[in-house]
Amino acid sequence: MTIWWLAFIVGSLAAVFAGFVWVVISLHRLQGGNTGGGPGKKSLGDLNKAYTDIAEEDATHLFNKEFREELRNRGRLRFEKIIDENAMFLKQDLDMTISQLNDYMKQQISSKLDAEFAEYAKAMHDAQQLALSSLQKTAQDVETQRLQLADALKKDVAAREVALLKVYEENMAKIVEHYVLLALGDQFDLKAQLPYIIAQMEANKQAIMEDMRL
Amino acid sequence: MSEPVTAAYVLPSVLVTRADLARIVREVEKVDNELEAQRARNRANGENEYHAPATSQQLADFLELNKLNLEDDQGRMQLKEQLRVMKDKAPVIHMTFAVEADPASLQKLVEYIRKEIHPQAVLSVGLQPSLVGGVYLRTPNHVHDFSIRELLAGKREVIMHELEGLV
Repeated sequence: MTIWWLAFIVGSLAAVFAGFVWVVISLHRLQGGNTGGGPGKKSLGDLNKAYTDIAEEDATHLFNKEFREELRNRGRLRFEKIIDENAMFLKQDLDMTISQLNDYMKQQISSKLDAEFAEYAKAMHDAQQLALSSLQKTAQDVETQRLQLADALKKDVAAREVALLKVYEENMAKIVEHYVLLALGDQFDLKAQLPYIIAQMEANKQAIMEDMRL
Repeated sequence: MSEPVTAAYVLPSVLVTRADLARIVREVEKVDNELEAQRARNRANGENEYHAPATSQQLADFLELNKLNLEDDQGRMQLKEQLRVMKDKAPVIHMTFAVEADPASLQKLVEYIRKEIHPQAVLSVGLQPSLVGGVYLRTPNHVHDFSIRELLAGKREVIMHELEGLV
């Protein structure tokens, strides 16, 4: 479309130029007919002025108000069209750019998000592993402490049991012994005890004799 | 049996303690003095009669058991010396009883000791009611606890065993 418009303008200019050339040639012929020595012979300056006036008049006739209005309308339409086309192209380019930008942004954001998510997942996994290991260690410590406590309690209970049994044995034996001592008291006279005493001395006679011999 | 510390004098069972020995030593010395005094008087008066002084049952038994005559000056002198030595050297067995020791029981004990252990041993008697029964016997270098208290303490496991059987 632009080329056609350009050809049209160039054609118009060429037509104007052709009209101008025709006017100049016509004026030259007319001037040549009058050079035979007539009284109406004019100077070159007057001629130029006259041509200029004619050209201006013709230009005024050629580029009259309607024609200028038509040209203006056409130019406006043409510009509007160009602007619309450019706007359309710009819009297409912009859309394409926006689309590419969106794609690029999507890609970048996706990769960034993927990387961040990967980092986050890795961090979460590490934290989870750390928490898990910490929990396992805590559980292990608790289990160890429980075992130690159970062992200590078992030992303590055993020791207490032994101590209580020992105290019980000692006390019970002492109680029984005390009872026997009280029950017997001074009921035995020496005469009744003589067989026991002599039997004991007889049993230890050798040791007593050896001691007396020293 | 252990060797006697002096000439083979036999101690009667009535001589139980060293105090008994010391008593007959003093008695023999007293008799010796009395007989010496009678001799001096007889020498002064020109008489020749001796009146044996009265002796305790312990000394009489000792003299009878050992076939001794106090009127024999030489034998009396020897006896006096031997008894002194015996009083100082006779082995002593300390016996502590839970009850008061009656003389008869002590005599039986000393008879057994002199027959089986030492012919001239004497006793030193003590009293300790906490022994309950039996005797706590101490020889010169050793102690033998034959008391009921020690017997009960030694048999404590038996009591515990019986108690555990009840539980």
